[in-house]
Amino acid sequence: MTSGFGLGLRTEHYNDFLAEPQPVDWLEVISDNYMVDGGKPLAMLDQIRANYPMIMHGVSMSIGSVNGLDKEYLRKLKILEQRVEPMWVSDHLCWSGVHGRNLHDLLPLPYTEEALQVVTRNVEQAQEVLQRPLVLENVSSYVEYESSEMTEWEFLSEVCKATGCRLLLDINNIYVSAFNHDFSPSSFIEGVSVESVTQFHLAGHLDNGDILVDTHDHPVCDGVWDLYREALLRFGYIPTMIERDDNIPSLPELIDELNVARAIADDVLNTKVAL
Amino acid sequence: MNLSELQSDFQRALFDTECKGADWISESARGLSARDRLDVYYNAYRLRLIDVLMDTFEHTAIYLGDDWFNQLAADFVQSHHSTYKNIGLYGREFPDFLAKQLPDDMEVSELALMDWKLRRAFDGADSAVMTQDDLQQLASEGTCIRLQAVPTLTTCTQQFNTLDIWHGINQEETPPTVEQLPEPIELLIWRKGYSPHFRSLSKIESAAIVCVRSGETLDTIGATLEKEFPEADVATEFGVMLHRWLDDEIIFGVRD
Repeated sequence: MTSGFGLGLRTEHYNDFLAEPQPVDWLEVISDNYMVDGGKPLAMLDQIRANYPMIMHGVSMSIGSVNGLDKEYLRKLKILEQRVEPMWVSDHLCWSGVHGRNLHDLLPLPYTEEALQVVTRNVEQAQEVLQRPLVLENVSSYVEYESSEMTEWEFLSEVCKATGCRLLLDINNIYVSAFNHDFSPSSFIEGVSVESVTQFHLAGHLDNGDILVDTHDHPVCDGVWDLYREALLRFGYIPTMIERDDNIPSLPELIDELNVARAIADDVLNTKVAL
Repeated sequence: MNLSELQSDFQRALFDTECKGADWISESARGLSARDRLDVYYNAYRLRLIDVLMDTFEHTAIYLGDDWFNQLAADFVQSHHSTYKNIGLYGREFPDFLAKQLPDDMEVSELALMDWKLRRAFDGADSAVMTQDDLQQLASEGTCIRLQAVPTLTTCTQQFNTLDIWHGINQEETPPTVEQLPEPIELLIWRKGYSPHFRSLSKIESAAIVCVRSGETLDTIGATLEKEFPEADVATEFGVMLHRWLDDEIIFGVRD
């Protein structure tokens, strides 16, 4: 089984994708990078889209903002969605600012009934505009709140139940948050319903000893590969990508890393079938 | 504490002049303290925005050097909250900020404004451009032609030899010593193809560009220039200008 493996499209690799077919099944684009008026970004997007299916992945929707969603942002996202015709549209379960300010970060939510109501309201609004289920990604986090009433995976499951949205499980983010907050990453994997998961992200992080920081500037580490194996056993075959945002290597190097994911998926899923 | 209070407090904590911690963050049994955990976000917020400024104002950063630029950028981040969804737009007020911070080094804010406008031209709106054939076709029809500037076209005024400084930096050479120009120059900035372009404008071309941007027809532009520059051979100069505008892809024409 070798299909269903992709990469995040980065400017450093535009020429590689334009020059010749590359062994990826789809590309994930950062929606925000293409919500611009024109020029090279949109021209490259159109040219590369002609040859690869795409997923749109956003970083600025701020689905957990108590102030609600930015309607102009949603309008621009919809225009891009109509241009790209992506397989799906994703963003993060987080908030990024309130009162008209933007912190440009993926800040964790308290897992409370009140936050659940806010996220449910906002997801429904986004899905109304997009006319398709939103896919939400779990974020890496460095703080937990005194007010939280449930686990992150319980919260995510409730959002899915309430809205019909789907999940992008970032295996690295589970690993990072589990270390930072001293919970079992397996509990997260086991705590999410099989039917809700649409995509996996794999990425690297920075180990600062006391805390892991989700930097996306390192290769995937052994612990994350092990957790990927666990996720494959539970969720089966799920479209998977390597996400690299900084210290970006050559495309062949990233494809080699993606091939590791392919080999692991083949190994785990073929073994599972044999059993 | 409800969600609104928590998000407002969290945001305030990141905007503060130092990371003071917060009692709504859980203390962990191991690893970092709650304050140090909040500090991860506090620092990331600043580093992310300083990185964006460093990227957008690339020539300015090189001109000032890392230490000085980082200090100015950090001061800007502390005093200017982002109101933009698109992080690339953060920095719109940075050239003005530099002008206020460095009143004796005004070439710095001029350089920053140039960096900013070139960056904005990069992903500004697309448009059709007029070609020599288009112009000849319209002229042969005897049509009254109203020119329009492409959406990325903009101008800026420089009082110093900032343009030479920019070129020096761009060619990885030591930039020239700053000098105030005998009189200000006008710089034209736009995108041709995928690449931002710029060049300086003569006074007559600058006046002509003002006419184009205000939607005048070819005939009225000529008349305006003749009135403003009675000593000039306007017919010849305007013809040369028009040719260059077509080559530069800065205009498209519409029938009046």
